[in-house]
Amino acid sequence: MDPRLERILLRVQKPARYTGGEYHAVIKDKNEVNTRFAFCFPDTYEIGMSNLGMRILYGIMNEMEGVWCERCFAPWGDMEAEMRQANIPLWALESGDPIRDFDFIGFSLGYEMAYTNVLNMLDLAGVPLHTWERGEDDPIVVAGGTCAYNGEPLADFVDIFSLGEGENVTSEMLELYQNCRQEGWNRADYLRKAAQIPGLYVPSLYQVTYNEDGTVAAITPEEGVPPVVTKRIVQDLDQSYFPIKTIIPSTEIVHDRVMLEVFRGCIRGCRFCQAGYCYRPVRPKSPDKLLEQGIESCKLSGYQEMTLSSLSTSDYRPLEQLCDGLLGYCEPRNINLSVPSLRADNFSMALEQRLQRARKSSFTFAPEAGTQRLRDTINKNVTEADLMNACKTVFEGGGNAVKLYFMLGLPTETDEDVLGIADLAQKVYLNWKQNASYRARGVRITVSTSFFVPKPFTPFQWEPQITMEEYQRRVDLLRNAVKSNKSIIYDWHDPDTSYVEAILARGDRRLGSAIEEVWRRGGRLDAWSEYFDFDRWIDSIRSVGLDPEFYVRRERPYEELLPWSMISVGVRPSYLWRERNQAYKSVVTPDCRKQCMGCGADRLLCDRKCDEILPISARARTEGEG
Amino acid sequence: MAQMHRHRLRYEKTGRAIYISHLDTMALFQRAFLRAGLSIWQTEGFNRHAYVSIALPLSVGFSSVCEVMEFDLESEVPLEEVPERLNAVLPEGVRVLECYEARDPFKLLRMLDWQITLEYDNGVPDGVEEAFRKMLDVPGLVIQKPSKKSKKGFTELDLIPMIFDWHIEPAEERTLRLNCRLAAQNPSLNPQLLLETFSERCPSMAPDFIRYRRKEIYLENGEKFR
Ligand code: SF4
Repeated sequence: MDPRLERILLRVQKPARYTGGEYHAVIKDKNEVNTRFAFCFPDTYEIGMSNLGMRILYGIMNEMEGVWCERCFAPWGDMEAEMRQANIPLWALESGDPIRDFDFIGFSLGYEMAYTNVLNMLDLAGVPLHTWERGEDDPIVVAGGTCAYNGEPLADFVDIFSLGEGENVTSEMLELYQNCRQEGWNRADYLRKAAQIPGLYVPSLYQVTYNEDGTVAAITPEEGVPPVVTKRIVQDLDQSYFPIKTIIPSTEIVHDRVMLEVFRGCIRGCRFCQAGYCYRPVRPKSPDKLLEQGIESCKLSGYQEMTLSSLSTSDYRPLEQLCDGLLGYCEPRNINLSVPSLRADNFSMALEQRLQRARKSSFTFAPEAGTQRLRDTINKNVTEADLMNACKTVFEGGGNAVKLYFMLGLPTETDEDVLGIADLAQKVYLNWKQNASYRARGVRITVSTSFFVPKPFTPFQWEPQITMEEYQRRVDLLRNAVKSNKSIIYDWHDPDTSYVEAILARGDRRLGSAIEEVWRRGGRLDAWSEYFDFDRWIDSIRSVGLDPEFYVRRERPYEELLPWSMISVGVRPSYLWRERNQAYKSVVTPDCRKQCMGCGADRLLCDRKCDEILPISARARTEGEG
Repeated sequence: MAQMHRHRLRYEKTGRAIYISHLDTMALFQRAFLRAGLSIWQTEGFNRHAYVSIALPLSVGFSSVCEVMEFDLESEVPLEEVPERLNAVLPEGVRVLECYEARDPFKLLRMLDWQITLEYDNGVPDGVEEAFRKMLDVPGLVIQKPSKKSKKGFTELDLIPMIFDWHIEPAEERTLRLNCRLAAQNPSLNPQLLLETFSERCPSMAPDFIRYRRKEIYLENGEKFR
């Protein structure tokens, strides 16, 4: 360890975040490594280590011959100050080597507020910020994750975006690099070749021009570069890599437990939900495989907690069978199994009770909107009756706290919908009065609202966001409506962050200079309220000649060329537009299980239908697929 | 918990592991036992978990080659096998030296041997040992220690009865080594306090960096604690 670092570590908070050396961290012999990859998570260690995607790719890369993938996280402010003071460049946790000497620096982009960290980490590493400033000796900067689907605001800083699930494309990208070095190609050659790999988007090979009104006029790929890049998916999750043997942090992280992914994608089609569209089609894992992986993960980690984590876990068909199997292993060993339950329409108290040794008293549901009309508009197919049934079960079973999540500012929302939230909360309260098995303890109903952010690749990608003043007015309206009932607690998110998110989520590449300006003015760790500064964002965006309102408040016509038009997540834009029109008519779309509405995502599958678990016998045929 | 548990580990915490906090160290061992396939007694109640207890919490940044932890092994395995099995599943820097039947109750642990390395970036100044002797060769050395409990905001503490032995020797380049035996519990003397007191009294001899390492633990009578 750098002796300067030893001294610094004793002055900063939570030094164990910076030291590495955890159980199962991969250490390789540098003489047997020709490709070094720094997997950077643009947030703290505790958040980054909780990310399952990172653990998967870390495992896959380290299984490759000649490749060493190491980790790197955003330093907290105290550590950053020390590093800058002592001139210590950003290092990788495993080897302690500076990441500027690596072949790749890869970022996982989970939320827009991490963008300034990407710049800050590149700067701390000593890597030129802009793609065009990087030379033959500089690392290739890649980025993946949910925000990479519209990575345009980071186009100045990222050499390659990896779209969709990285399991296969990451190794293809690294193999190409290894070949490329043997053949003596230069950086530009490599990037052009990489752009030919399906799922890799190289923004510098596309030229974007703008109309006078600021909208995109044309996106022109260089010759031979694909005009549209389609995201990658894993065909068969049962056969794909799962990190059973994974790093066990020596300090507490956010999700400090075994995480089992029961499927990818979601059958539901909630119209506001980016993950719901971007992760299509739904691909379940088989319960047998999950059982095997769950048990092995517990054995190899020593965790006494396991959670099933997917978009809408309760939609997993063999859920009870899986839980029975897992509990058979977990119960005698005092391993706690938890299943997040946010859907009111298939809530099962029987299952809840089996899962909770310590009787849980608090339950969370997300109706998202206050009236049936608006729930139909957003296609959240949960009825009031579903919610009331679920609450009845909770209260009869002794529960005395219910959390309800909503969004304010959804398209077509009126005051009636806002007041509908208060109504619903009141009905939950009456439901408790009627059904509570034990009323002396009282009840706590928490209503929580967030500010709706329209996201790309959703049916609401053309919608404006309401103004912050209007959001605040609706908050006040709701606050007044619930304040007389002391059992109802109202929590609302500040609109500032959601406003900036709305700018970035649907931003174009001109925003790169704005993000850079924010960072130059001290912006970093923006997902943390102690660091986030709204005015710094707005002033910086204006200072580079852009108007935040252009991105936030404008309703886009269908004909408009959206900045992310060169990317496909498999779902056709025409399908999204149809869904948008259905929303305005408050017409619901059935989930993928009831009826396939032909969104187009099934074209990503080679040999099966959406939501299908192939029998083992059929699998032999698909081995070796890409 | 006052009740004594049957088994003990003696282990080291060095290198990168010195930054792992006391609570995290317990969690780390709870998991390591399970990973090693060694079942130990679990707490009763709602949130059941493998039970371990560490004799003396170790500050973040201090290393040690004499940590002691206790628990109740439920698996039928020879104790000599335990270190190897645990070491196979422990992170870098944490190494089990020995597993044995508990002998002395924790409360009898009285003294700790420390190895303290004083680093001087610009070379070791003359007279450090002299200065130490001058400071410690007195009947009493009362210092004020900040305290939330006391009304005055500090408590008074005499260091001398808590220092049983010390000597200083030159070590690697630009370093001195202070070996000392200090009170470990009820009351205990944190060596940092001793060195802070020294640095305050002799600012020109204040080291630029200090490393602390626990070397051995003792009973009142000077026998090793086990
Ligand atoms: S193709 Fe049909 S079943 Fe598949 S994700 Fe789209 S709508 Fe759902």
